Amino acid sequence: MQILRQTNLEALKLAMNIGPEKTLKILEEKSLVGRGGANFPLAKKWKLAMNSKNKSKEIFLICNADEGEPGTFKDKFILKNNPETLIEGILIASYVLKTKRAFIYLRNEYDYLREELEKKIETILKNSGMKNKVSIEIVRGAGAYICGEETAIMQSIMGYRGQAMYKPPYPTDEGLWGKPTVLNNVETLTCVPQALLYDDWNPNMRLFSLSGDIDNPGVYEWELGVKMATILDTIKPRKERKAMSFGCFGGIMPLNKDSTINTETICKEDCQHGAFSIIFIGKERNIVDICLSIAKFYAYESCGKCTPCREGTIRILNLLKKIRDEKANESDLVLLKDMAQHIKETSLCGLGQSSTNHILTALQHFKGDFEKYLIKENRIDSTNNKPQKQVKNEN
Amino acid sequence: MKIKITVDGKEMKVDSNKSILEICRENGIKIPTLCYHKSLFPEARCRICLVEMNRKLVTACSTKPQENANILTTSERIIKARKMNLELMSPNIKINELANDFEAKEIYDQIGLDTDRFVSIKDYHPDLGAAIVRDNNKCINCGKCIAVCAKIQEIYAIDFASRAHNEHVTPYEEKKLEEVACIKCGQCLINCPVGAIQERSHLNEVLQALNNPKKHVIAQTAPSIRATLGELFDMPPGTLVMGKMVSALKKVGFDKVFDVDLGADMTIMEESAELLKRIKSGKNLPMITTCCPGWILMMEYFYHNLVPNMSTCKSPHEMSGMLIKTYYAEKAKINPKDIVVVSIMPCTAKKYESTRKELHTGVDYVLTTRELGRLIKQKNIDFVNLKDEEFDPVLGLASGAGDIFGTAGGVMEAALRTAYETSTKNKLKKVEFKNLRSGKGIKEGMIILKGKKIKYACANGGANIRKLLKNKDKYHFIEMMACPGGCVGGGGQPIYFDEKVLQARGKALYEQDRKREFRRSHENPIVKAIYKKYLGQPLSKRAEKLLHTKYSIKDKF
Repeated sequence: MQILRQTNLEALKLAMNIGPEKTLKILEEKSLVGRGGANFPLAKKWKLAMNSKNKSKEIFLICNADEGEPGTFKDKFILKNNPETLIEGILIASYVLKTKRAFIYLRNEYDYLREELEKKIETILKNSGMKNKVSIEIVRGAGAYICGEETAIMQSIMGYRGQAMYKPPYPTDEGLWGKPTVLNNVETLTCVPQALLYDDWNPNMRLFSLSGDIDNPGVYEWELGVKMATILDTIKPRKERKAMSFGCFGGIMPLNKDSTINTETICKEDCQHGAFSIIFIGKERNIVDICLSIAKFYAYESCGKCTPCREGTIRILNLLKKIRDEKANESDLVLLKDMAQHIKETSLCGLGQSSTNHILTALQHFKGDFEKYLIKENRIDSTNNKPQKQVKNEN
Repeated sequence: MKIKITVDGKEMKVDSNKSILEICRENGIKIPTLCYHKSLFPEARCRICLVEMNRKLVTACSTKPQENANILTTSERIIKARKMNLELMSPNIKINELANDFEAKEIYDQIGLDTDRFVSIKDYHPDLGAAIVRDNNKCINCGKCIAVCAKIQEIYAIDFASRAHNEHVTPYEEKKLEEVACIKCGQCLINCPVGAIQERSHLNEVLQALNNPKKHVIAQTAPSIRATLGELFDMPPGTLVMGKMVSALKKVGFDKVFDVDLGADMTIMEESAELLKRIKSGKNLPMITTCCPGWILMMEYFYHNLVPNMSTCKSPHEMSGMLIKTYYAEKAKINPKDIVVVSIMPCTAKKYESTRKELHTGVDYVLTTRELGRLIKQKNIDFVNLKDEEFDPVLGLASGAGDIFGTAGGVMEAALRTAYETSTKNKLKKVEFKNLRSGKGIKEGMIILKGKKIKYACANGGANIRKLLKNKDKYHFIEMMACPGGCVGGGGQPIYFDEKVLQARGKALYEQDRKREFRRSHENPIVKAIYKKYLGQPLSKRAEKLLHTKYSIKDKF
């Protein structure tokens, strides 16, 4: 796997030899983009922070290791198997950005990796000779999903309630303690030394976290544009699968063997790939059940700051329960869609805006699954044209 | 930088550093909002101020316009989204039950609610305190109370706890407000758009006393009420309604109506004597005023080392309350036990103060301005067309110095008038201190008393108090008011949305001062009579016993 290639501080030496500007140029040429899901070019982000209009020239660096998305575990894979390269990536970033304080925001549940990581940081700082120039602090999250969002991460590190802030101002202008801040996730920073050092480094390789109704879940690496058939061959499915969900937030789309996996094909289905965590959904499952458990997750994990997300997620959950209990009628389905669209459009941060993707895409692709549960008599009562249809049937 | 934008089809050139909400308000376009506060950082919580910018829904309070942006403020999409958000956040609110003076009333009327669409999921116990009552079931989580408490008052008594739909406002560790370091200033109440925070009402008790023929019920009104009560009856802010107020109180059924301004005059007599004594001995300086019960609580919680610096004077209404139950009772030959003293105050902290045991309090009940307004409306009194009446004699005549107690800097001004003239035996050339009337958060100045340079300073609002105390040693005499603007901005006053209202109220009090025959406390004939017949002189033994108190310290947790 490309992501496991070690660089043994060679990349840092290279960066120091050629200087920050040339390092940035190489990263730009290698078209290294962020792995968080937005595909934001890494060099561009760093430059934004370096050229920020902020009076303070001190730049903070945060490595986002708060991998809270259900079905995603590739950062854990890196932290376990190649932490040296990640730390080197942080050092290169610190060198380029002239950062004195870098943070690793570690997910609460990954605390068992912390001791090992701290030891590694200590030795690498010593070996690289950057011990006096930069400090790398590990901040342990407290278990909130929202703290994977970039503004909430900063609130959490500063000691405030982990709640999202609106943008602009972007973190690259005003981040931690009002100073410019660069946020990159584990996979991106691990790619930095590899991209610098190896000429054959492929910018399109991505880590896939596969889970759900399959027999061998795990982290896999493929190039973007991989055929679904290739993926299915590798994971050797025993049962048939009808759909896949991209984490919790990305949406649910039907599984098609002939399709290719890349940003465009996924966006075409109104889904978001995020960090390519795919949860496979078996044929025997009902999509309403899947939506129900995702809605439960959001009703629990919303930070509570803005109205639509705070009050909306719990109502979505209640509506889905009503549908599942076969107490809902067609007007409830309309309300469900209205509310899902409303929460998506008016929420403050990424969590709220994507908290109803699963409903919207499920209603688009699997509406039949929902309609199965609706009350039949009410259906006739609630819409005017139904009785007419019945008459037609009799004729 | 100026940029060109289009708002509702109208082109305009605007400052790109201003938010869409500010731009729209400047141009007379109304955008409803529930969580926006002019002097605080916009949080964009409520999502009611949604507008369309280039076909995207954004919150007007937190978004700055882009160049050539096309902004819509009333499209169907916006109205639908606003309504959904309003319904989501307030299933417990019924429009017709919402009091008229709350900010949200107009918004709810405008947008409307289909209350049956969403059911309430909130189930909280109301927090009933001696001064403030909080009902989280009505709360819409706008967060204004928290922001005001933290940023304007710097008390940090409340914050959000828990997350998602369980997020709610609460003091530390789900305790009650009574159990934490809350100064009961009521600024949270003033800023609550839906009335989820209210004063603890004493109306029932007062009505009971009024209906009891054995009781001699006396109302005494604080200085600032005469400049604010009119607002509750749709009169413009800053209308003086002293005569109408007295007349209304008599119609409601109070046996006597006295003026707390007289208590204020007494406070000045005692306080200025105390100041001169401390300056002479040089001990316990700076001396800090104690008229404001919010500030006293703040000192007791946060500034334990300041106890010796505090003046020992009781607050004005406690002084006059005490005089009613001793001096007046003796004079009118009424058993003090049959007298019920009701203070009409602009303040929620005074409600807490009247429960303090160490004051041996002369005041039985405290009503806020809003409660008095309610009482007058309940009794079907046509307030606006009432004829003016005078306060009852005995304790009804006050000087202009007492009037200006209601505004920030007023206590200082009144005290300086008396301290200067009693110590130097000269008349002040100008009784009005312009530097104390600037409307700023912190004001300072210097006066020469008996050849000594006396530096004084005033602060209003918790944050300004904290700022001033950082270099308190520079000064000899400090006035503290916990609410922004002083008592005219108190937690018991009619709800206001604009700082201009505060200025109008303050101006009205200064006007009242100008109209008075006597403008210095020591000239007040009633004050002279009380000292001559009853107390002897300021700081005499009897005065110490009746008009002075002690302070304790409180733990923050």
